[in-house]
Formats: sequence, structure tokens, C-alpha cells
Amino acid sequence: MTRIRRGYIAWRRRTKIRLFASSFRGAHSRLTRTITQQKIRALVSAHRDRDRQKINFRHLWITRINAAIRERGACHSYSRLINDLYKRQLLLNRKILAQIAISNRNCLYMISNEIIKEVSWKESTETELPGE
Amino acid sequence: MAMTYATSSSAMLTPLHNRSPVLFTFSTTATKHNITGKTSRNHQIRCQQQQVQQRNLAPVEQRWMFTDSDFTGPDVWNKTWYPKAEDHVNTEKTWYVVDATDLILGRLASTIAIHIRGKNLATYTPSVDMGAFVIVPNGVLMPINIGKCRESCGIRKKETQKLYRRHSGRPGGMKVETFDQLQQRIPERIIEHAVRGMLPKGRLGRDLFTHLKVYTGPDHPHQAQKPIDLPIRDKRIQKQT
Repeated sequence: MTRIRRGYIAWRRRTKIRLFASSFRGAHSRLTRTITQQKIRALVSAHRDRDRQKINFRHLWITRINAAIRERGACHSYSRLINDLYKRQLLLNRKILAQIAISNRNCLYMISNEIIKEVSWKESTETELPGE
Repeated sequence: MAMTYATSSSAMLTPLHNRSPVLFTFSTTATKHNITGKTSRNHQIRCQQQQVQQRNLAPVEQRWMFTDSDFTGPDVWNKTWYPKAEDHVNTEKTWYVVDATDLILGRLASTIAIHIRGKNLATYTPSVDMGAFVIVPNGVLMPINIGKCRESCGIRKKETQKLYRRHSGRPGGMKVETFDQLQQRIPERIIEHAVRGMLPKGRLGRDLFTHLKVYTGPDHPHQAQKPIDLPIRDKRIQKQT
């Protein structure tokens, strides 16, 4: 029998994967079997980290808002700010609050002062009502 | 020139039609505006041309939504801020001084670590060194570890019982020292050990650790940096007498 090569089908499939892993380091961009494994791992990491990215960014915003608010004084904290935001039904999310904290700190202080005033006013009027 | 611009603008108009039904009625009138506007803006980037188109296509009462006087630059609001190189230059960071006499060790180390890492700043970024430098003179006179039981007992418990361990890497190479012995030998290492345990471990953590300067005596060679006093929020950091 003459020797028959198997053609280009597998070669074409592997080239696509190779293109994906073309920027990987060392053997991960050179050896075929390693390339397929590394591509799978890369895609798995990307999938998992797309969900983690949302979590991570939210943590970062919370830390930044906390830092900016605590500079005001001992009784100010992120938890109280968020509590007052919800009581006032203000729909600002943490991302925007963090961006305000960085770019325009006075604006954030104005917001927090307004919220605290409103909330304390409301609480004082509620306590004046006769309870049963 | 005007004819070529008309054809290109009409080609670009059709995708806009599909996307925004509000602007549908103004196609015929808008093309005239576009021709006059575009001849002066030959070299603009394509997305800016589309912004101009959107503004001219909008009905008059909605044009305020598309005025991009503030929005010509990169999107500040929708992308979380990340520091550029000039935001964390080492020469422009603040320098703090904390005198370590009669302060509790752990609470002092915690405050220092927060300031070195930059977690008290609104511009905190975990991957970038945004923190300040901290100088600690009088590292010997030191933070004394005082617990509640000690005040009543009067025994110097931690000075004789707190152990500092290190290992040389070879088998049987564990070396143990008490707090007292280390204070006699290398007093700076106590505060450094405490702060290093509170900083992140990794490349960035090791770089952050170099921002801590501990000195045994009361003076330090960093007068040129004009250090300011470290603002301490912890009320229990002072030794209670």
C-alpha cells in the first residue's frame, strides 16, 4: 500500500487553536497538545473571572467610598452612608459614588450631609408621633 | 466634494435609522446640515463624525442630550478610575511621622499599614502603590504590649513570652527569640515584623514595606521630606496608665 497522509482537517482545527494561544509564554504557544490544554484553561479562567470581575469592582468601589467618607470624622462610615442612602431612596450606585469620591470630593460630602440631615429630620418627626 | 460627502453620509445614515426611531423623521432635512458641517471637518475621527451626525439628527428639543461639550474626552463616568503614572510618583507622596513611645504595638502597626497601603485614600487601588511613607523614630522606647490582665497582674507577660521565630532553611535551623532578646539585639525589627505581617505578601507588598522607616533614636534623616504627624484614629493606641 502507498503511504496516505490524513490531510489538512486536523491541521486546520489546530491552527485555529494555535492562533488563540499565539501570545502565550514558552511551550504554551509552541507545542500542540499543550496549546489545546492552555486554551481550555484560558477560556475557563476568562469565564470564571468575568463573574469575579463584577464582584471585584464592587469591592473596590466600596473600599474607595469607605476611605473617602471616613476622612470626614469618627462617626462617618460607609455602612451609615449606605443606610442613609436607602432611607432617602437615592438611587446612586457604588460605582458612581466612587467616581464622585475621586473626582469631586466636595460633591460627595454635600450628598452625605443632605442625606444625614433628611434622615435625622425624619427620625425626629417620627419619634414625636404618639406611640401605642 | 459635496456629492461624495452626501453619498457617504447617506450610507452612514441607514444604520442610525435602524437603531434610533426617534431620529427617523429628520433624515431629509439633516443631510443638508451634514454637508455644510462636514466640509470643515475632514480629518476628524469617525466616531466624532457620528456624534456630530447624531446631534444634528436629533429633534430640536432633544438636542441638549447630545451636546458633547463635556464629553469629547475619554469616558470618565462609566470606566472606573485607574491611576496613571503621574498619580503615584514617589517624589510626591506624603511622608508621615509617628513617635513610637508608649504606643501599643499591634494598633500602631495596623495604623501604619493602612497608611502605607493607601487604604485611607479614595484613590486606593490594590494593584498600585498609592500609599504614603511612614517614619517611626524612637523604635526602642517602644510600643509596649499591654493587655488587660497585665495591668492588674503587673507581670511583663509579653516581653518574656512573645516569641519571634525564623528559619535558616536548613534542617534544624529554627531560631527562636523572645521579645526582650530581640529588643536588645535589633529593636527596629519588632515594629518591622509587625507591620510586614499586616501588609500584603507579594511583589507589591515587599515594595510597600520599603516605605516604612524605623529608627531607634528620636531623630531621623528625612527632615528634607518635611514629614507630617500621622493622624491616628484609634483611641486605644496610647498606653493606658
